[in-house]
Amino acid sequence: MSLLLHERALTDGSEDLVRMTAGEVQDFSEVHATKVLIPGRTPEEGEQYRFHFNMTKCIGCRSCEIACNEQNGNPTDIRWRRMGEIEGGTYPDTLRHYLSMGCNHCLDADCVKGCPVNAYTKDPVTGIVLHSADACIGCQYCVWNCPYSVPQFNAERGVVGKCDMCHGRLTDGREPACVNACPEGAIEIEIVNLAEWRENYAAAESPGMPAAGHTVSTTRITLPARSAADLERVDAGRIRPEHAHLSLVFMTTLIQMVTGALIAALLWRRASLSMLGVLLGITAVALNISVFHLGRPAYAWRALKMWRRSWLSREVLLFGLFFAALTLATAAAWGGGARTQLILGWTAGALGLAGTVASAFIYLVPARPAWNMMHTPMDFVLSAALIGSVFPAALERLAMLFGSAHSVVDRMPDAIWPVALCAGLWLANQVVRLVRLNRSSLFERRASAALFNVEKLRNALALSWGLACACVVLALVGYWIAACAAAVGAVLCARYLFFVSVVPLNMALTFVRGGER
Amino acid sequence: MSVLMKARRMLGFDTRKEKYVFEKDASVGHISATRVADTWVKTTCGYCSVGCGMLIGVRDGKAVTARGNPEHPVNRGKLCPKGLSEHHILTAPGRAKQPLLRKNGKLVPVSWDEALDTMVERIGAVQRKYGNHALGVVGTGQLVTEECYTLGKLVQLGFRTRNNDGNTTLCMASAVAGYKLSFGSDGPPGSYEDLETADVVLLIGSNIADNHPILCQRLERNESRTLIVVDPRVTKTAMMADIHLPVKPRSDIALINGIAHVLIREGLVDREYIERHTSGYEEFAEFVSTFTPRHVAKITGLSEARIEEVALLYGRAKAAFIGWTMGVNHSTQGSVTVTAINNLALMTGNIGRVGASPFSITGQCNAMGTREAGFTSGLPGYRKFENVDDREELARIWNVDVDRIPTARGLAYPDIIEGAVTGKIKALWFIATNPVVSFPNHSVLEQALRSVEFLVVQDGFHPTPTAEFADLVLPAAIWGEKEGTFTNSERRVNKVNRIVVPPGEAHSDFDIFLDIAERLGVREELFPGWSTTRDAFNEWRRVSAGRLCDYSGFSWEQIEEQGGVQWGGKRLYEDGVFQTPDGRARLYSVPWEPFLEQPNSEYSFVLNTGRTVEHWHTRTKTSQVAMLESMVPNAWLEMNPADAARLDLRSHDRVTVISRRSSVKDIELRITGIVAPGQVFMPFHFAESNSNLVTLGAFDPISREPNFKQCAVRIEKSAAR
Repeated sequence: MSLLLHERALTDGSEDLVRMTAGEVQDFSEVHATKVLIPGRTPEEGEQYRFHFNMTKCIGCRSCEIACNEQNGNPTDIRWRRMGEIEGGTYPDTLRHYLSMGCNHCLDADCVKGCPVNAYTKDPVTGIVLHSADACIGCQYCVWNCPYSVPQFNAERGVVGKCDMCHGRLTDGREPACVNACPEGAIEIEIVNLAEWRENYAAAESPGMPAAGHTVSTTRITLPARSAADLERVDAGRIRPEHAHLSLVFMTTLIQMVTGALIAALLWRRASLSMLGVLLGITAVALNISVFHLGRPAYAWRALKMWRRSWLSREVLLFGLFFAALTLATAAAWGGGARTQLILGWTAGALGLAGTVASAFIYLVPARPAWNMMHTPMDFVLSAALIGSVFPAALERLAMLFGSAHSVVDRMPDAIWPVALCAGLWLANQVVRLVRLNRSSLFERRASAALFNVEKLRNALALSWGLACACVVLALVGYWIAACAAAVGAVLCARYLFFVSVVPLNMALTFVRGGER
Repeated sequence: MSVLMKARRMLGFDTRKEKYVFEKDASVGHISATRVADTWVKTTCGYCSVGCGMLIGVRDGKAVTARGNPEHPVNRGKLCPKGLSEHHILTAPGRAKQPLLRKNGKLVPVSWDEALDTMVERIGAVQRKYGNHALGVVGTGQLVTEECYTLGKLVQLGFRTRNNDGNTTLCMASAVAGYKLSFGSDGPPGSYEDLETADVVLLIGSNIADNHPILCQRLERNESRTLIVVDPRVTKTAMMADIHLPVKPRSDIALINGIAHVLIREGLVDREYIERHTSGYEEFAEFVSTFTPRHVAKITGLSEARIEEVALLYGRAKAAFIGWTMGVNHSTQGSVTVTAINNLALMTGNIGRVGASPFSITGQCNAMGTREAGFTSGLPGYRKFENVDDREELARIWNVDVDRIPTARGLAYPDIIEGAVTGKIKALWFIATNPVVSFPNHSVLEQALRSVEFLVVQDGFHPTPTAEFADLVLPAAIWGEKEGTFTNSERRVNKVNRIVVPPGEAHSDFDIFLDIAERLGVREELFPGWSTTRDAFNEWRRVSAGRLCDYSGFSWEQIEEQGGVQWGGKRLYEDGVFQTPDGRARLYSVPWEPFLEQPNSEYSFVLNTGRTVEHWHTRTKTSQVAMLESMVPNAWLEMNPADAARLDLRSHDRVTVISRRSSVKDIELRITGIVAPGQVFMPFHFAESNSNLVTLGAFDPISREPNFKQCAVRIEKSAAR
């Protein structure tokens, strides 16, 4: 990559519109030489580019945000560069400052690590974290992974996009659009030594920014001299529920239902052909629903690619294998031996459980603190157990209604204690999680708990927990079908809340938070 | 879109890649292909009066990108967010595209002929019945100078009504009046580059970081300056300051007099300058002797030490610059505050030198053009109505009878509105202004709009809140669709060019004026042989020749080539000779008075109004630019945490702002230390939360500028929705 050096900006006589400043305009005061805002060379081995944001210069004019969208032709609601406000102190000694942030081009970028299709690359020369729209399948796992909420999903395209430091401009020796637009010269591109930065990245920390250590942000921030510690974000009161991801609500619930039911049926020796057939059918539905979470469902298969690194790939792989094993087990129940059926059945059960755990690990991301708790895998497994504990009995009752239950041989009596136990544990996990969120030292966790004060969410929570209790009562009085419906309802509501109530780590935004991102 | 296409989109085979391709623009470099231009048009920004040079990229006749012109001395390639997105305004929805006439209570499309015939006939009928002066016209600082000039002639000599004013009375009239009082003429004496060379910059009631952001780079470049910001609110600009003086609202006169007091006491005055170039010093010195730091500290809420410190800084500066904006002008004492500022500059000789000037930072892109050429508060070319020589000179140039030229100013904007209420004004014509949002004390305005017999609204956009009252709506071309000049705050005449053609049937304001003149039968007399704005400019050059605002020395081409030309050069009054009869500037004794509507137990807050960087005035334009609108889609009310705690209010609560006049309902509360206890602030851009429902209808007795900045209100929690 060749960099046309900054001399060009000063000496080039062509009609170059985007020189940083016009050195030869006579009215310029000669005393102040043109300030160069991009490095005069490419990074060497062990170095990369980074942003430098000088908070003491920024006046919060937001030219950088507009310039970024104009440069990249992005729609209004997508902002690869965003401005935030932070305030502190007491009138008249009030402090108010601004953050202007694009991507931080982290040393340990979680977007890169999590991507199931390898759409992200950290450019070996510049260190810029690049994203390929062609490779992307729109799973949005990077959106969940980034502690700065930098990658944004473009619904119109079905893919994610993010700041690439105007890589294409830097290559030509031109400043990124934001750097170029800033009237105050508050944004610069610098070269950073990777080893030194990893050793000490304190200059990446700032009020209003998530801790830099998660991913080792490379953006250097010059803070004002006056006690920056007093500065606080002004958007804290404007927390909105996140996207519900309904396809994921249904997919995770259904596949946990199948896993739980399969294991329960195997334990209670009720894994009949009809039982397996129904479970297989539900699995097929669940897996099909899941692809519609993707911006590009046609390329779902690509998600298998990064199984060595990405929990999302592993989930896809394990559920794929689960489906295969379940298919074989069903086939064995139809025409094979009982032993083969049993082995295949238990294999499927194990894969389902592994898939459920892998699925839970997707959500264990530091950037989403309310997800990143042991309660998430516990909830996924206990949800499988809760529905599993009522499903076989319910299915048999359903079959009886249609007059074919007589095919079930050596039926075990329906046990109520597993239902009570599973529901109790499931509820306990939910309650403990909420209490811990509420008492957390992390703002984002407390904010998640606070979201349950939103009427719609509070109602959903009451419904979810009420249904879990109803499940036990209904099972006790022998209404197994209703009990099963209640269990599924409880899990669906809880899962919906799981998605909408998460408060992601993010940079501080404005009080009026335009675009609500 | 075909089903197949939809399916391809849904399944993700199609990622609209073609829309997100990058190309290499020959001038700009790597950029989204949607922003690649085939031609570039040089022009000047149409928002504020900083007057930034721009390059608008056009492809296939459509404006696709806006960039700062790096060769332009004002902005050196930089633009604020409004400028950077200004090309979107040319493709925005919401444009007025055809003339609309109210028939049976409804606005219906009509032809231009019907529209203008009706206008001339209805206004003629009103004038025949009630006299020529029953027509009131309110122009704007949004037109090019050539149009301001044409409009002035059309109204004063064609329609023969004196009641012609501009919306500039809502923003810069006090600066004009103050300059006239002190120096004998309007005209900001300094230049932007003084911000770079001054060693002390004092900004009073001026939030340039939000309102004139491109000026901030001048201060950024001036490393040795001491920036002092006087503002009751901790604005973005206050945060840039080395010293922020958080004065009590409207105590600036006391502060300025206090500084003068310390300067005299310390002998930090320029005796020689005072003796040679000013009059009234002895009386003035006597007057400010009572403004001791102790007295001033009481009024302003500042410490005595702070006042002394600032006075010494100003007095010892080699070059001191005072800039001000609406914090000073938007007041019943605006004009005299300007003279008080001028006093400081004059007594220290900080005027007419590099880095030293009192300097009003203007509002609209061409407020200056309308001040100079508009025929509103004065005759074109800073001439005076009451000066017989001025009238005769103009009559000679125009080849009209001198009796045609009015001998006194007509009604100012607020008085035109009041006249409409009292029945003196029976027809109103608004051009490129939106009083329903921008005029104080809305209920009186509404009564005025409902009282007149015929109301014409000429605007680039429709509907606007004002057009709802109109009998006739004339669709006009806007910035980017016409050619002419804008003059910025530093007297720089900049070229404005046509980039695209106006939408639908919209006509340029200039063409509308000429068509009306034709129907009045005055076209050949007043505008002989005119067909384009260039003809107007050429006549204006002759009219301004030899005046302080002399445009005769440069052509459109020269203006464009040089990145604008400052009339009067970089600085006025370098020789110390002023525009008064004796050539001396006047020093005035300016008493401090509290602002009119003081808070009491019932209305316990002082409401301050202002702007935010993302929006322009009444949001007619910026609400149409999706990016700007989404950044700040609604108004808010700022309140100090101490007051919020007392009222048991939380951030994001919906509150109602109630004054003696009306109330603004359901506005979002922002609890912040930006505002002082006892004060609240809201932006005025939003018709939906219109601050002018509650503001005070009080006006400066000299400039007639409204007192937008202080009124007494109380805050209540809005009823739950």
